[in-house]
Amino acid sequence: MGAKIEAKEVTKRFGNHVALSNLSLEIGEGEIFGIIGPNGAGKTTFLRILTGYWLPSSGDVCVDGLSVVKNRFTVQKRLGYVCEQPKLYTDHGVRTFLRMMGELRGLKGVALDEAIEQAIERFGLEEVQRRRIGVLSKGFRQRVSLAQALLHDPPLIVIDEPTVGLDPRQQIELRRMIQALGGRHTVLLSTHHLREAEVCCDRVALLDRGRLVQIATAEEVEMGGTLETLFLELTEREEEKP
Amino acid sequence: MTRRLWALFRKELRTLFASPIAYIVLTAFVALTGVYFFQHLLTYNRLLFVFQSEAIGAGGFDAGTVPLQVNSLNELFIPASNDFSLFLLAVLPLVTMRVFAEERAHGTDELLLTTSIRPWEVALAKHLSTYVFVFLMLAVSAIYPAAVVAKSRLGMEHLLALYMGQLGYGVAVAAIGLACSSLTQSQIVAAVLAYAIPFMILDFTWLHPVLSEGIAELLNELALQSHFDSFARGVIELRRGIYFGGIVALGFTISVGSMEFTRAR
Repeated sequence: MGAKIEAKEVTKRFGNHVALSNLSLEIGEGEIFGIIGPNGAGKTTFLRILTGYWLPSSGDVCVDGLSVVKNRFTVQKRLGYVCEQPKLYTDHGVRTFLRMMGELRGLKGVALDEAIEQAIERFGLEEVQRRRIGVLSKGFRQRVSLAQALLHDPPLIVIDEPTVGLDPRQQIELRRMIQALGGRHTVLLSTHHLREAEVCCDRVALLDRGRLVQIATAEEVEMGGTLETLFLELTEREEEKP
Repeated sequence: MTRRLWALFRKELRTLFASPIAYIVLTAFVALTGVYFFQHLLTYNRLLFVFQSEAIGAGGFDAGTVPLQVNSLNELFIPASNDFSLFLLAVLPLVTMRVFAEERAHGTDELLLTTSIRPWEVALAKHLSTYVFVFLMLAVSAIYPAAVVAKSRLGMEHLLALYMGQLGYGVAVAAIGLACSSLTQSQIVAAVLAYAIPFMILDFTWLHPVLSEGIAELLNELALQSHFDSFARGVIELRRGIYFGGIVALGFTISVGSMEFTRAR
Protein backbone atom coordinates (compact mmCIF):
# COMPACT_ATOMS: atom_id res chain seq x y z
CA MET A 1 0.00 0.00 0.00
CA GLY A 2 2.94 2.32 0.33
CA ALA A 3 4.04 4.62 3.11
CA LYS A 4 2.88 8.04 4.23
CA ILE A 5 5.53 10.74 4.45
CA GLU A 6 5.31 13.95 6.39
CA ALA A 7 8.10 16.53 6.34
CA LYS A 8 7.87 19.16 9.06
CA GLU A 9 9.82 22.39 8.62
CA VAL A 10 12.98 20.64 7.54
CA THR A 11 16.05 22.84 7.39
CA LYS A 12 19.60 21.83 6.52
CA ARG A 13 22.53 24.18 6.85
CA PHE A 14 26.15 23.63 5.85
CA GLY A 15 27.95 26.40 7.69
CA ASN A 16 26.34 29.62 6.45
CA HIS A 17 24.82 27.98 3.40
CA VAL A 18 21.16 26.98 3.73
CA ALA A 19 20.61 23.95 1.49
CA LEU A 20 17.01 23.40 2.60
CA SER A 21 14.79 25.94 4.30
CA ASN A 22 11.67 25.08 6.32
CA LEU A 23 10.43 22.44 3.90
CA SER A 24 7.03 21.02 4.84
CA LEU A 25 5.06 18.59 2.69
CA GLU A 26 2.92 15.48 2.89
CA ILE A 27 2.95 12.53 0.54
CA GLY A 28 0.15 9.97 0.54
CA GLU A 29 0.31 6.18 0.44
CA GLY A 30 0.96 4.74 -3.02
CA GLU A 31 1.58 8.13 -4.56
CA ILE A 32 4.34 8.82 -7.08
CA PHE A 33 5.61 12.17 -5.91
CA GLY A 34 8.13 14.18 -7.87
CA ILE A 35 10.59 16.72 -6.57
CA ILE A 36 11.83 18.99 -9.30
CA GLY A 37 14.09 21.95 -9.34
CA PRO A 38 17.32 23.28 -10.80
CA ASN A 39 20.73 22.10 -9.63
CA GLY A 40 21.34 23.12 -6.02
CA ALA A 41 17.61 23.38 -5.26
CA GLY A 42 17.93 20.98 -2.30
CA LYS A 43 16.38 17.87 -3.88
CA THR A 44 19.18 15.45 -2.98
CA THR A 45 19.57 17.08 0.43
CA PHE A 46 15.93 16.33 1.22
CA LEU A 47 16.26 12.73 0.04
CA ARG A 48 19.39 12.21 2.12
CA ILE A 49 17.56 13.47 5.19
CA LEU A 50 14.54 11.29 4.46
CA THR A 51 16.73 8.19 4.08
CA GLY A 52 18.55 8.91 7.36
CA TYR A 53 21.90 9.45 5.67
CA TRP A 54 22.02 13.04 6.93
CA LEU A 55 20.52 14.64 10.01
CA PRO A 56 18.44 17.78 9.47
CA SER A 57 19.67 20.96 11.18
CA SER A 58 16.10 21.39 12.41
CA GLY A 59 12.70 19.90 11.70
CA ASP A 60 11.92 16.25 11.06
CA VAL A 61 10.57 13.82 8.49
CA CYS A 62 8.15 11.07 9.52
CA VAL A 63 7.51 7.89 7.56
CA ASP A 64 4.25 6.25 8.69
CA GLY A 65 4.48 8.40 11.82
CA LEU A 66 8.04 7.32 12.63
CA SER A 67 10.60 10.09 12.97
CA VAL A 68 13.67 9.58 10.82
CA VAL A 69 15.71 11.48 13.41
CA LYS A 70 14.65 9.33 16.36
CA ASN A 71 13.99 6.00 14.61
CA ARG A 72 16.48 6.06 11.78
CA PHE A 73 17.01 2.29 11.52
CA THR A 74 13.30 1.42 11.72
CA VAL A 75 12.52 3.95 8.99
CA GLN A 76 15.37 2.63 6.84
CA LYS A 77 13.86 -0.86 6.96
CA ARG A 78 10.77 0.60 5.27
CA LEU A 79 12.55 2.16 2.34
CA GLY A 80 14.61 1.31 -0.70
CA TYR A 81 16.99 3.97 -1.99
CA VAL A 82 18.29 4.45 -5.51
CA CYS A 83 21.14 6.95 -5.27
CA GLU A 84 21.98 9.53 -7.90
CA GLN A 85 24.43 8.02 -10.45
CA PRO A 86 24.04 4.39 -9.28
CA LYS A 87 26.50 3.86 -6.46
CA LEU A 88 27.25 0.17 -6.66
CA TYR A 89 30.15 -2.15 -5.90
CA THR A 90 31.64 -2.47 -9.37
CA ASP A 91 33.86 -5.40 -8.39
CA HIS A 92 30.81 -7.50 -7.46
CA GLY A 93 28.80 -9.68 -9.80
CA VAL A 94 25.11 -8.69 -10.18
CA ARG A 95 23.83 -11.75 -8.32
CA THR A 96 26.47 -11.51 -5.57
CA PHE A 97 25.63 -7.85 -5.09
CA LEU A 98 21.89 -8.48 -4.87
CA ARG A 99 22.49 -11.32 -2.38
CA MET A 100 24.62 -9.07 -0.22
CA MET A 101 22.07 -6.24 -0.28
CA GLY A 102 19.29 -8.70 0.55
CA GLU A 103 21.26 -10.04 3.51
CA LEU A 104 21.98 -6.51 4.73
CA ARG A 105 18.23 -5.89 4.64
CA GLY A 106 17.56 -8.94 6.78
CA LEU A 107 16.42 -11.39 4.10
CA LYS A 108 17.60 -15.00 4.34
CA GLY A 109 17.06 -18.51 3.05
CA VAL A 110 14.26 -19.15 0.57
CA ALA A 111 12.88 -15.62 0.94
CA LEU A 112 16.22 -14.18 -0.14
CA ASP A 113 16.54 -16.57 -3.11
CA GLU A 114 13.01 -15.73 -4.24
CA ALA A 115 13.55 -12.00 -3.85
CA ILE A 116 16.70 -12.18 -6.01
CA GLU A 117 14.96 -14.22 -8.72
CA GLN A 118 11.98 -11.84 -8.75
CA ALA A 119 14.21 -8.76 -8.93
CA ILE A 120 16.25 -10.24 -11.78
CA GLU A 121 13.10 -11.08 -13.73
CA ARG A 122 11.29 -7.82 -12.95
CA PHE A 123 14.16 -5.62 -14.11
CA GLY A 124 15.29 -7.76 -17.04
CA LEU A 125 18.68 -8.65 -15.59
CA GLU A 126 18.74 -12.28 -16.74
CA GLU A 127 21.41 -11.79 -19.40
CA VAL A 128 23.78 -9.88 -17.10
CA GLN A 129 23.16 -11.66 -13.80
CA ARG A 130 26.59 -13.38 -13.81
CA ARG A 131 28.51 -10.32 -15.01
CA ARG A 132 30.55 -7.92 -12.94
CA ILE A 133 28.70 -4.64 -12.31
CA GLY A 134 31.75 -2.68 -13.48
CA VAL A 135 31.34 -3.89 -17.06
CA LEU A 136 27.60 -3.11 -17.32
CA SER A 137 26.11 -0.21 -19.28
CA LYS A 138 24.62 2.73 -17.36
CA GLY A 139 21.14 1.48 -18.15
CA PHE A 140 21.79 -1.93 -16.62
CA ARG A 141 23.51 -0.40 -13.62
CA GLN A 142 20.42 1.71 -13.00
CA ARG A 143 18.27 -1.41 -13.20
CA VAL A 144 20.55 -3.18 -10.70
CA SER A 145 20.21 -0.16 -8.44
CA LEU A 146 16.41 -0.32 -8.68
CA ALA A 147 16.48 -4.09 -8.12
CA GLN A 148 18.48 -3.79 -4.88
CA ALA A 149 16.12 -1.09 -3.61
CA LEU A 150 13.08 -3.34 -4.12
CA LEU A 151 14.51 -6.64 -2.81
CA HIS A 152 12.79 -6.40 0.57
CA ASP A 153 9.57 -5.04 -0.98
CA PRO A 154 9.61 -1.77 1.01
CA PRO A 155 6.56 0.50 1.15
CA LEU A 156 8.69 3.52 0.20
CA ILE A 157 11.05 3.84 -2.77
CA VAL A 158 13.28 6.89 -2.95
CA ILE A 159 14.83 7.54 -6.36
CA ASP A 160 17.34 10.29 -7.04
CA GLU A 161 17.88 11.45 -10.65
CA PRO A 162 17.35 8.02 -12.20
CA THR A 163 17.78 8.85 -15.88
CA VAL A 164 20.96 10.93 -15.78
CA GLY A 165 23.35 9.68 -18.46
CA LEU A 166 20.89 7.23 -20.02
CA ASP A 167 20.05 7.18 -23.72
CA PRO A 168 16.42 8.00 -24.74
CA ARG A 169 15.37 4.34 -25.02
CA GLN A 170 16.79 3.53 -21.58
CA GLN A 171 15.06 6.62 -20.17
CA ILE A 172 11.69 5.48 -21.53
CA GLU A 173 12.18 1.95 -20.15
CA LEU A 174 13.16 3.23 -16.75
CA ARG A 175 10.20 5.61 -16.58
CA ARG A 176 7.89 2.71 -17.32
CA MET A 177 9.47 0.73 -14.49
CA ILE A 178 8.98 3.65 -12.10
CA GLN A 179 5.37 4.13 -13.19
CA ALA A 180 4.70 0.45 -12.51
CA LEU A 181 5.81 0.90 -8.89
CA GLY A 182 3.01 3.37 -8.01
CA GLY A 183 0.04 2.18 -5.98
CA ARG A 184 1.86 -0.71 -4.29
CA HIS A 185 4.73 1.53 -3.20
CA THR A 186 5.02 5.20 -2.42
CA VAL A 187 7.64 6.57 -4.80
CA LEU A 188 9.57 9.74 -4.17
CA LEU A 189 11.30 10.76 -7.37
CA SER A 190 13.81 13.56 -7.56
CA THR A 191 14.64 14.83 -11.00
CA HIS A 192 15.48 17.91 -12.99
CA HIS A 193 13.98 16.36 -16.12
CA LEU A 194 10.57 18.00 -16.25
CA ARG A 195 9.27 15.53 -18.82
CA GLU A 196 10.10 12.69 -16.46
CA ALA A 197 8.14 14.25 -13.62
CA GLU A 198 5.24 15.03 -15.95
CA VAL A 199 5.04 11.45 -17.21
CA CYS A 200 5.59 9.57 -13.98
CA CYS A 201 4.26 11.62 -11.08
CA ASP A 202 0.84 12.13 -9.51
CA ARG A 203 2.05 15.35 -7.88
CA VAL A 204 5.22 17.40 -8.07
CA ALA A 205 6.89 19.76 -5.64
CA LEU A 206 8.99 22.51 -7.12
CA LEU A 207 12.07 23.43 -5.08
CA ASP A 208 14.25 26.42 -5.74
CA ARG A 209 17.30 27.43 -3.70
CA GLY A 210 16.24 25.25 -0.80
CA ARG A 211 12.65 26.50 -0.63
CA LEU A 212 9.41 24.86 -1.60
CA VAL A 213 7.87 27.05 -4.31
CA GLN A 214 4.74 25.08 -5.14
CA ILE A 215 3.13 21.67 -5.11
CA ALA A 216 1.09 20.89 -8.21
CA THR A 217 -1.03 17.91 -9.24
CA ALA A 218 -0.84 16.39 -12.72
CA GLU A 219 -4.18 18.07 -13.56
CA GLU A 220 -2.97 21.49 -12.46
CA VAL A 221 0.12 21.08 -14.60
CA GLU A 222 -2.03 20.10 -17.58
CA MET A 223 -4.33 23.12 -17.08
CA GLY A 224 -1.36 25.48 -17.01
CA GLY A 225 0.07 24.05 -20.21
CA THR A 226 3.18 22.03 -19.45
CA LEU A 227 5.36 21.56 -16.41
CA GLU A 228 8.04 23.44 -18.30
CA THR A 229 5.83 26.54 -18.52
CA LEU A 230 4.96 26.29 -14.83
CA PHE A 231 8.59 25.73 -13.86
CA LEU A 232 9.84 28.77 -15.79
CA GLU A 233 7.03 30.94 -14.48
CA LEU A 234 7.63 29.98 -10.85
CA THR A 235 11.43 30.11 -10.89
CA GLU A 236 11.37 33.51 -12.63
CA ARG A 237 8.95 34.78 -9.98
CA GLU A 238 11.36 33.48 -7.29
CA GLU A 239 14.30 35.22 -8.94
CA GLU A 240 12.46 38.54 -8.87
CA LYS A 241 12.08 38.30 -5.08
CA PRO A 242 14.71 40.31 -3.18
CA MET B 1 28.74 -12.87 14.09
CA THR B 2 25.35 -11.72 12.88
CA ARG B 3 24.19 -12.49 9.35
CA ARG B 4 24.47 -8.83 8.32
CA LEU B 5 27.94 -8.48 9.76
CA TRP B 6 28.97 -11.70 8.01
CA ALA B 7 27.61 -10.32 4.70
CA LEU B 8 29.58 -7.10 5.19
CA PHE B 9 32.71 -9.02 6.18
CA ARG B 10 32.53 -11.14 3.00
CA LYS B 11 31.98 -8.00 0.93
CA GLU B 12 35.10 -6.41 2.40
CA LEU B 13 37.23 -9.49 1.69
CA ARG B 14 35.82 -9.69 -1.84
CA THR B 15 36.66 -6.02 -2.47
CA LEU B 16 40.12 -6.43 -0.94
CA PHE B 17 41.03 -9.44 -3.08
CA ALA B 18 39.49 -7.91 -6.21
CA SER B 19 42.27 -5.33 -6.16
CA PRO B 20 45.83 -6.15 -7.27
CA ILE B 21 47.18 -4.23 -4.26
CA ALA B 22 46.34 -7.14 -1.94
CA TYR B 23 48.39 -9.60 -4.00
CA ILE B 24 51.27 -7.18 -4.50
CA VAL B 25 51.45 -6.43 -0.78
CA LEU B 26 51.18 -10.10 0.15
CA THR B 27 53.91 -11.13 -2.30
CA ALA B 28 56.22 -8.25 -1.35
CA PHE B 29 55.83 -8.94 2.36
CA VAL B 30 56.41 -12.69 2.06
CA ALA B 31 59.43 -12.16 -0.19
CA LEU B 32 61.00 -9.48 2.01
CA THR B 33 60.47 -11.34 5.29
CA GLY B 34 61.77 -14.58 3.72
CA VAL B 35 64.91 -12.96 2.30
CA TYR B 36 65.72 -11.03 5.45
CA PHE B 37 65.06 -13.97 7.77
CA PHE B 38 67.44 -16.14 5.76
CA GLN B 39 69.98 -13.32 5.66
CA HIS B 40 70.00 -13.18 9.47
CA LEU B 41 70.11 -16.96 9.66
CA LEU B 42 73.09 -16.95 7.31
CA THR B 43 74.89 -14.30 9.38
CA TYR B 44 74.22 -16.29 12.53
CA ASN B 45 75.61 -19.46 10.91
CA ARG B 46 78.69 -17.59 9.68
CA LEU B 47 79.36 -16.22 13.15
CA LEU B 48 79.10 -19.69 14.66
CA PHE B 49 81.39 -21.02 11.94
CA VAL B 50 83.98 -18.28 12.50
CA PHE B 51 84.10 -18.78 16.25
CA GLN B 52 84.22 -22.56 15.97
CA SER B 53 86.91 -22.43 13.21
CA GLU B 54 89.06 -20.24 15.43
CA ALA B 55 88.60 -22.75 18.23
CA ILE B 56 89.56 -25.63 15.92
CA GLY B 57 92.59 -23.64 14.64
CA ALA B 58 93.71 -23.14 18.22
CA GLY B 59 93.93 -26.86 18.74
CA GLY B 60 90.45 -28.32 19.36
CA PHE B 61 86.73 -27.79 19.22
CA ASP B 62 85.05 -26.31 22.24
CA ALA B 63 81.47 -25.09 22.06
CA GLY B 64 82.22 -22.76 24.96
CA THR B 65 84.41 -20.64 22.71
CA VAL B 66 81.35 -19.08 21.09
CA PRO B 67 80.59 -15.90 23.09
CA LEU B 68 77.30 -15.99 25.01
CA GLN B 69 75.93 -12.93 23.20
CA VAL B 70 76.19 -14.76 19.89
CA ASN B 71 72.96 -16.70 20.11
CA SER B 72 69.83 -17.21 18.00
CA LEU B 73 67.93 -14.58 19.99
CA ASN B 74 70.42 -11.75 19.40
CA GLU B 75 71.49 -12.73 15.91
CA LEU B 76 68.26 -13.99 14.45
CA PHE B 77 64.98 -13.34 16.24
CA ILE B 78 65.47 -9.75 17.43
CA PRO B 79 66.92 -8.44 14.12
CA ALA B 80 64.25 -10.35 12.19
CA SER B 81 61.52 -8.85 14.39
CA ASN B 82 62.85 -5.33 13.75
CA ASP B 83 62.91 -5.94 10.01
CA PHE B 84 59.44 -7.49 9.93
CA SER B 85 57.98 -4.55 11.83
CA LEU B 86 59.45 -2.11 9.31
CA PHE B 87 58.08 -4.15 6.40
CA LEU B 88 54.64 -4.15 8.03
CA LEU B 89 54.89 -0.41 8.42
CA ALA B 90 55.85 -0.07 4.76
CA VAL B 91 53.09 -2.21 3.24
CA LEU B 92 50.06 -1.94 5.54
CA PRO B 93 49.09 1.66 4.64
CA LEU B 94 48.79 0.47 1.03
CA VAL B 95 46.05 -1.90 2.18
CA THR B 96 44.30 0.34 4.69
CA MET B 97 44.27 3.57 2.64
CA ARG B 98 41.35 2.53 0.44
CA VAL B 99 39.13 0.79 2.99
CA PHE B 100 37.01 3.77 4.12
CA ALA B 101 38.29 6.49 1.76
CA GLU B 102 37.32 4.64 -1.41
CA GLU B 103 33.83 3.94 -0.09
CA ARG B 104 33.37 7.62 0.68
CA ALA B 105 34.86 8.81 -2.64
CA HIS B 106 32.63 6.46 -4.68
CA GLY B 107 29.58 7.31 -2.55
CA THR B 108 28.85 3.65 -1.78
CA ASP B 109 28.75 4.49 1.91
CA GLU B 110 25.44 6.21 1.12
CA LEU B 111 24.11 2.91 -0.19
CA LEU B 112 25.25 1.01 2.91
CA LEU B 113 24.21 3.54 5.52
CA THR B 114 20.65 3.76 4.21
CA THR B 115 20.01 0.01 4.61
CA SER B 116 19.50 0.10 8.41
CA ILE B 117 23.06 -1.12 8.92
CA ARG B 118 24.63 0.50 11.97
CA PRO B 119 27.84 2.47 11.36
CA TRP B 120 29.61 0.32 13.97
CA GLU B 121 28.72 -2.80 11.96
CA VAL B 122 30.24 -1.29 8.82
CA ALA B 123 33.38 -0.27 10.73
CA LEU B 124 33.67 -3.64 12.49
CA ALA B 125 33.47 -5.56 9.20
CA LYS B 126 36.13 -3.33 7.68
CA HIS B 127 38.44 -3.65 10.69
CA LEU B 128 37.99 -7.43 11.02
CA SER B 129 38.62 -8.12 7.33
CA THR B 130 41.80 -6.03 7.41
CA TYR B 131 43.03 -7.85 10.51
CA VAL B 132 42.35 -11.17 8.79
CA PHE B 133 44.53 -9.94 5.92
CA VAL B 134 47.31 -9.03 8.38
CA PHE B 135 47.01 -12.52 9.90
CA LEU B 136 47.17 -14.07 6.43
CA MET B 137 50.27 -12.06 5.53
CA LEU B 138 52.06 -13.18 8.68
CA ALA B 139 50.87 -16.79 8.41
CA VAL B 140 52.16 -17.15 4.83
CA SER B 141 55.43 -15.44 5.68
CA ALA B 142 55.92 -17.77 8.67
CA ILE B 143 56.03 -20.99 6.65
CA TYR B 144 59.71 -20.92 5.64
CA PRO B 145 61.11 -19.59 8.93
CA ALA B 146 59.00 -22.15 10.80
CA ALA B 147 60.37 -24.97 8.66
CA VAL B 148 63.96 -23.85 9.24
CA VAL B 149 63.50 -23.28 12.96
CA ALA B 150 61.76 -26.63 13.44
CA LYS B 151 64.45 -28.51 11.51
CA SER B 152 67.37 -26.86 13.27
CA ARG B 153 65.75 -26.76 16.74
CA LEU B 154 66.56 -23.06 17.13
CA GLY B 155 63.56 -22.40 19.36
CA MET B 156 60.07 -22.65 17.92
CA GLU B 157 58.68 -20.85 20.99
CA HIS B 158 60.78 -17.79 20.10
CA LEU B 159 59.45 -17.77 16.56
CA LEU B 160 55.91 -18.16 17.86
CA ALA B 161 56.37 -15.27 20.29
CA LEU B 162 57.94 -13.17 17.54
CA TYR B 163 54.94 -13.73 15.29
CA MET B 164 52.49 -13.04 18.12
CA GLY B 165 54.22 -9.72 18.64
CA GLN B 166 54.14 -9.00 14.93
CA LEU B 167 50.44 -9.81 14.82
CA GLY B 168 49.66 -7.43 17.68
CA TYR B 169 51.85 -4.77 16.12
CA GLY B 170 50.47 -5.33 12.61
CA VAL B 171 46.88 -5.12 13.81
CA ALA B 172 47.66 -1.91 15.73
CA VAL B 173 49.32 -0.33 12.66
CA ALA B 174 46.36 -1.43 10.54
CA ALA B 175 43.92 0.12 13.06
CA ILE B 176 45.80 3.43 12.80
CA GLY B 177 45.66 3.19 8.99
CA LEU B 178 41.93 2.45 9.04
CA ALA B 179 41.26 5.37 11.35
CA CYS B 180 43.18 7.64 8.94
CA SER B 181 41.25 6.23 5.98
CA SER B 182 37.94 6.97 7.72
CA LEU B 183 38.84 10.65 8.10
CA THR B 184 39.20 11.46 4.41
CA GLN B 185 38.01 10.48 0.96
CA SER B 186 41.48 10.85 -0.52
CA GLN B 187 43.45 7.61 -0.51
CA ILE B 188 46.71 9.57 -0.83
CA VAL B 189 45.98 11.60 2.30
CA ALA B 190 44.96 8.38 4.11
CA ALA B 191 48.22 6.69 3.10
CA VAL B 192 50.40 9.65 4.10
CA LEU B 193 48.74 9.80 7.54
CA ALA B 194 48.98 6.02 7.92
CA TYR B 195 52.74 6.21 7.28
CA ALA B 196 53.35 9.31 9.38
CA ILE B 197 51.52 8.39 12.60
CA PRO B 198 53.08 4.95 13.24
CA PHE B 199 56.53 6.34 12.35
CA MET B 200 55.99 9.15 14.86
CA ILE B 201 55.09 6.78 17.69
CA LEU B 202 57.45 3.98 16.71
CA ASP B 203 60.30 4.98 18.97
CA PHE B 204 60.96 7.93 21.29
CA THR B 205 64.48 6.99 22.43
CA TRP B 206 65.98 9.77 20.29
CA LEU B 207 64.13 12.25 22.52
CA HIS B 208 65.51 10.82 25.79
CA PRO B 209 68.54 13.15 26.04
CA VAL B 210 66.30 16.22 26.26
CA LEU B 211 63.59 14.73 28.51
CA SER B 212 63.35 14.06 32.20
CA GLU B 213 63.54 10.41 33.22
CA GLY B 214 59.84 10.18 34.10
CA ILE B 215 58.62 11.57 30.78
CA ALA B 216 61.13 9.47 28.85
CA GLU B 217 59.82 6.37 30.61
CA LEU B 218 56.22 7.33 29.87
CA LEU B 219 57.00 7.94 26.19
CA ASN B 220 58.79 4.62 26.09
CA GLU B 221 55.59 2.94 27.26
CA LEU B 222 53.70 4.66 24.42
CA ALA B 223 56.20 3.68 21.73
CA LEU B 224 55.29 0.81 19.42
CA GLN B 225 58.87 -0.48 19.33
CA SER B 226 59.13 -1.15 23.05
CA HIS B 227 56.05 -3.37 22.92
CA PHE B 228 57.05 -5.72 20.14
CA ASP B 229 60.67 -5.93 21.35
CA SER B 230 59.67 -8.07 24.31
CA PHE B 231 57.87 -10.57 22.04
CA ALA B 232 61.04 -10.99 19.99
CA ARG B 233 62.82 -11.93 23.22
CA GLY B 234 60.24 -14.63 23.74
CA VAL B 235 58.44 -12.79 26.56
CA ILE B 236 54.66 -12.64 26.20
CA GLU B 237 53.12 -10.07 28.56
CA LEU B 238 49.48 -9.14 29.05
CA ARG B 239 50.24 -5.41 29.17
CA ARG B 240 51.65 -5.60 25.63
CA GLY B 241 48.37 -7.10 24.48
CA ILE B 242 46.45 -4.38 26.31
CA TYR B 243 48.58 -1.73 24.59
CA PHE B 244 47.89 -3.11 21.10
CA GLY B 245 44.22 -3.66 22.03
CA GLY B 246 43.99 -0.04 23.16
CA ILE B 247 45.25 1.22 19.78
CA VAL B 248 42.76 -1.06 17.99
CA ALA B 249 39.89 0.23 20.17
CA LEU B 250 40.91 3.83 19.51
CA GLY B 251 41.15 3.22 15.75
CA PHE B 252 37.73 1.58 15.73
CA THR B 253 36.15 4.39 17.75
CA ILE B 254 37.57 7.01 15.36
CA SER B 255 36.22 5.06 12.37
CA VAL B 256 32.69 4.88 13.82
CA GLY B 257 32.85 8.49 15.01
CA SER B 258 33.85 9.78 11.58
CA MET B 259 30.84 8.06 9.99
CA GLU B 260 28.48 9.55 12.57
CA PHE B 261 30.13 12.95 12.10
CA THR B 262 29.47 12.80 8.34
CA ARG B 263 25.80 12.24 9.09
CA ALA B 264 25.52 15.18 11.46
CA ARG B 265 27.76 17.67 9.65
